Order: sequence, then C-alpha cells, then structure tokens
Amino acid sequence: MAADGLYKYSEQINELLARYGVKFGIYKNNVFKEQLFPFDTIPRIIEKAEFDCLERGLKQRVTALNEFIKDIYSDKKIIRDGVVPEEFVYSGSGYLVQCEGVCPPKGVYTHISGIDLVQGEDKNWYILEDNLRIPSGASYPMIARDICRRSSPATFEKYHIEDNRNYAKLLRRTMDYVNTGGHTVILSPGRYNAAYFEHSYLAEQTGAHLVTGSELTVENDRLYFIDYSGKKEQVGAVYRRISDEYLDPMNFNKESVIGIPHIYDIYRKGNVALINAPGNGVADDKGIYYFVPKMVKYYLNEEPILQNAPTYLPYYEKDMKYVLDNIDTLVLKDVAEAGGYGVVFGSKMTKTEKEEFIALLKREPRRFIAQEVIDFLDIDIYDDGEIVPRKADLRAFVLMADEPLVWKSGLTRFSRDPDSFIVNSSQGGGFKDTWVLS
Amino acid sequence: MKKLNFSYHMQLTFEYPVRDHHFTLRCFPPNDARQQILTESIEIYPKQYSSTQTDSFGNRCIYGTASWEHNYFAADVNGQAVIDKDKNITEDAYKTGLFRYYTELTRPGEGIMGFYNKIKRSGHPLETAKHFMDKLFENFVYEQGATNISTTAEEAFLLGKGVCQDYAHILISLCRLEKLPCRYVAGMMTGEGATHAWAEVFDNGVWHPLDPTHNRLVDDTYIKISSGRDAKDCTINQGVFIGGGKQKQEVKVTVEEIL
Repeated sequence: MAADGLYKYSEQINELLARYGVKFGIYKNNVFKEQLFPFDTIPRIIEKAEFDCLERGLKQRVTALNEFIKDIYSDKKIIRDGVVPEEFVYSGSGYLVQCEGVCPPKGVYTHISGIDLVQGEDKNWYILEDNLRIPSGASYPMIARDICRRSSPATFEKYHIEDNRNYAKLLRRTMDYVNTGGHTVILSPGRYNAAYFEHSYLAEQTGAHLVTGSELTVENDRLYFIDYSGKKEQVGAVYRRISDEYLDPMNFNKESVIGIPHIYDIYRKGNVALINAPGNGVADDKGIYYFVPKMVKYYLNEEPILQNAPTYLPYYEKDMKYVLDNIDTLVLKDVAEAGGYGVVFGSKMTKTEKEEFIALLKREPRRFIAQEVIDFLDIDIYDDGEIVPRKADLRAFVLMADEPLVWKSGLTRFSRDPDSFIVNSSQGGGFKDTWVLS
Repeated sequence: MKKLNFSYHMQLTFEYPVRDHHFTLRCFPPNDARQQILTESIEIYPKQYSSTQTDSFGNRCIYGTASWEHNYFAADVNGQAVIDKDKNITEDAYKTGLFRYYTELTRPGEGIMGFYNKIKRSGHPLETAKHFMDKLFENFVYEQGATNISTTAEEAFLLGKGVCQDYAHILISLCRLEKLPCRYVAGMMTGEGATHAWAEVFDNGVWHPLDPTHNRLVDDTYIKISSGRDAKDCTINQGVFIGGGKQKQEVKVTVEEIL
C-alpha cells in the first residue's frame, strides 16, 4: 500500500544513497571491496500498539543486560546464586578480565544496543540476538528516510509515521549523559572499516568530532584531542567504533596501532567515558543469550515481555539429548562466531557433515546452541519490478541515557536469495526503512 | 614472622634511543593479609609523566609516558616488609571462578593431560595440589635458558625443563584440569638474583601459596609482587615505544632478613 508513491523513485533513491556513500566495506579473500547496500522502497510497517509492546520489552531486556554486566564485573551474585553457570561467563569470548572491578561512568555498559528480532508466522516477535559490542546500522534507515522524504514528500503527508531522524538527538543525549567533561568524539579505525559511512554520518549528525587514534593522547590522567594546529582539548566521551582488543595496546592487544595507549587506565579512574563500555560482550555471547530471560526475572523481578527463539544448550544433558534426537529440525550456532558465520541448519547437512558435527558437539558442548527454526513471516520486496516475499529481520536500537530509550524505527534487513534465512549485510543482503505508525 | 629488606632493580638498555615510550610497571609489593610493607621508595627513569592505579587483580601499577628520547629505562624499588606465613589470604569462593579457566599460557595439551591422567587421585583440593607439586618436581628439571617468557605450560612440559615461571604454569594447568582455582604469583625470595614465581591454590576460603620450583609451601622468606591468571597478567615492565633496536634487560633482586 504505502510503497506506491515511493517505488517509482527507487532507482533515484538508490543512486542518491550511493552518492552519499552508503556502502558496506567487506574483505573477501583479503581484498577490500566496497559494495552498495541495496535499499528496497517498500517499508516495514509496525503499528503503534505493536511497537509500544516491543518498546517495553526492549527497555526491560537492555536494563537487565546492563545489570548483568555490572554484576559480573563486581559482585557476581548471579553466579553465586547459580542462575548462570560461571563457565558461560569466563570461557566466553566477550569476558574481559581487565574489566573486573571497573565501574564505567554512571554505571552504563550498554549505551547503544542493537537487538535483532524476527517476526514469526504466528505474528509473535522473537529475539534472535543481542548486539552490545559495536552494533552498527542506525545510519542506514536515517539517511534513507531523509532521501525518501525528499523524493516523495506526499507519501509522508499521507501516513502518520514516527520521524526517525531524531536518532542523532537520542545518541547525543546518551553520550552527554556519561561525558566526564570535555568534547565528545567518535573514534573510527578509518575509512577501510566496513561501517565507515556510519561513523562519519553519525559524527556529522550529532556534532561530535570524527577522529582516529592518532589524534587522541593521554596526558596527566586525562584524554586530549589534538587539533590541526596542535592545540589540545580535553575529551570526556569517546564513542569508539573500534573493538575492545584494539582500544589500548597497554591493556589489550599490544600490537594495536589504531588504539590509544593508557586510555583504559584513565577510564578505570572514571576520567573518560568509553561508549560502549569495554567488556560488555560478556552479555551478548550466543551462549549467554539463553539466560537473558532468566536475568530479567533475577534482576528486575519481572516476567520477560519479549521471548527468545526456543533455544537449547547442549551443555545441559537433557538439552543435548533433545538436540541429538531432533537435529534435522534445528539450526545450530557456534557461539564464538558472528555476522551470520558459524550457523548451520541440521536439515541441510550431508550424512558425513552431520556425523562430524555431532562428534564436535559432543567434544565441545559449550561451544554450540541449538534453536528451533522459526517460520519467519516473509515480507515483500521489489525484485526486478515484481513483488516477491523474502526473509527479513529487524535490528531495534536501544540507547541507555538517564533512562532506556528505544528508537522508533530500526534497520530491517532482508535476504535477496529466496532460499536463505541469513540477512546479514556482510553476506550481501539489502535493507528497508522501518515505519512505526504514530 | 620475618622482617625483610628488599630491593628490586630493573634496567632496560636500548641500542638506539627511543621516544614516545608508554610504560606500565608492576613491581611494587602490595599489602595483604600475609605481608605488610613498612617503608618503600620508588625511582623511575625517565620520569616524565606518571600516575598510579590498581589493576583488576589488585596489583599496584605505575604507568606513564616518556616522550623525549632516552637510551635506557630503569626502575628501582627499595623497602622493608613484614611477612607472616600464618596469616590467611581469604576470599569468597564464588569470586574465584575466573582462576579455574585456561589462558593461552596455561592451556593443557596432550602432554599435560596425559600426565594428569597418570597422577590424578581423589582428595582435598590442597592435598591434591601438593600431590601435583610433588609429581611435577620429580618429573621436571630446573634449567635456565631452555624456555622464555612466552613459553606455554604445555611446551615447557614437553621439554621437561624450565624455570620457576614454567613450574608455576604447569602446576596451574594441572590444578585447573582438576577445576581448582589456581593463580600465578610473581615475587621475590631471600637471597640475590632474579624475580621468582609460584602459585596459589584456593581451598576452603583461603588462597594457599605453593612453590613448585622448590617443592614446598611458601613461607616467611617470600615477598609477593603481583598475582593473576598467568605470567602475562603479572608482566613487570610492559611498554610500547618508537625506535630502540636491540634491547638488553637486567634485573637484580636482593632480599635479606633483618634480624
């Protein structure tokens, strides 16, 4: 319905997106290639009442995740009380021992979360995964909306849609809330990063400086930005788009040349905010995902509003048995992988592959989770002028300022391949705008 | 209970001058239940900007940056400590879990696992750890130069020889196979020479220090400098800098009892 006005501008909108640099950089066989991120003009539309429910559930979930991270790096009550087995914490890739005993400014660990959801055929929404480290993607629907509004203003007069161009304001509020005094910067590894477009766009939209590691320096326990004239200005908040391990060669990977020596030492003292907080990946490990509904009950004493996809942990004997008996109907995920890698469908394995997989599963039960394959509700896309159904997910963005804020939009990603369930941009999918009706 | 004088001297000499030198030093004995630092003096060269903090394991650190060119980097720590081996270092058991998991340096391979399967037996955690220490002492030879600071427990075990760091790593690896929390300790002991290393095993609310290199319990003649999951967490001098060429590090430790 709503796409009628926009569709005829499809080519023009995609051209503009390309001109603005909406691209996704990927490394294939060690060669850096920028590819376009194809935009489909048919929006995903979410009714107000439905989104209100999602919003409550997302706020609840991210609040519990933030509590969990705080607890893990301090009191460890959830381990003491046997709700989460310590093995899932300490042998997960996201746990960083350097974060033990460190409390970030205002106790916020999950400043920007990207929560991936899918809608099932039963119309229920399920959480697929929580992305807490450096979730990207908000800039794509922001700029797409902007260009769509300019291409077809009439469409946006006709429908009552929440304006999603306020993301920059929400982000600014989130960064300002934890700023310890001084400028706010967005730290990028540079233009060869997959999400460089986003880094520069968010800097422009929020009024933060876009910097690389060599423009920042630690002196006298404070962080400074060195401007073009060599003048030093204090920095109080760093929205860093480089991963924990490269942040500071003195505290993490000592080979890192894109980080800032000693930035973590002064963060430990509370003299700068790092957004998102280092070590918060302890809560978005695929193994920990299983326990998130339990965290909601444990920390908030509330029933979880949003459901996980039905998940089994082969770590537990009962679940292992279920997985072995039902492997053909399950999707199996390696907890150490991300970006759509390390995901296999039981039904698609050959006999030998299955035998090899089962042997590996028995050897390293903690390494995998198994999930029921959800019947996604297909959504329509235009493919060469024809409307066809495709699998899609929704990345919702939750920001933690003085209170949790849910962005009334999101990144809808779809698979262009009719037989694929994998929608990741790094695997060649496209995106849509997400309209939340007001 | 003993009163000890200690002196730690480290000097790193560069073939060519270095600049933009960021460093973190972990060579300052802490106060804990077993040891009390009475006096202490610290000198660092070059001292351009430096600050202090405590890391995630409770180790005291001095970190800083020396941006101008220098040919060597040195730290001197002198002081007096009182050590009481009869005092216990206590902790809540549920907070010690992180010392039950392998790190790169302590992950067992087929060698250590085979050894573990041969020597394992049931018993109380501390008795088990002492038994591992005995067996390790019988099967491992002290030899300098066979291993280096980045040798893993498994590599050292397969060589069959090494120094205190290797003894400690292998003991830690064995204890972790047994699911016992076990941590690495860097420190000093009476006499003259280099720094020493041992391990602490957690049992019944208490961290028990064991010295596998000498196959004995740690007593009043040892001063702890730092602890962590492995030697990497206890790196005494860590740095990044520009320039330098070849480097030569000298370390001299002296600990004497004050009678």
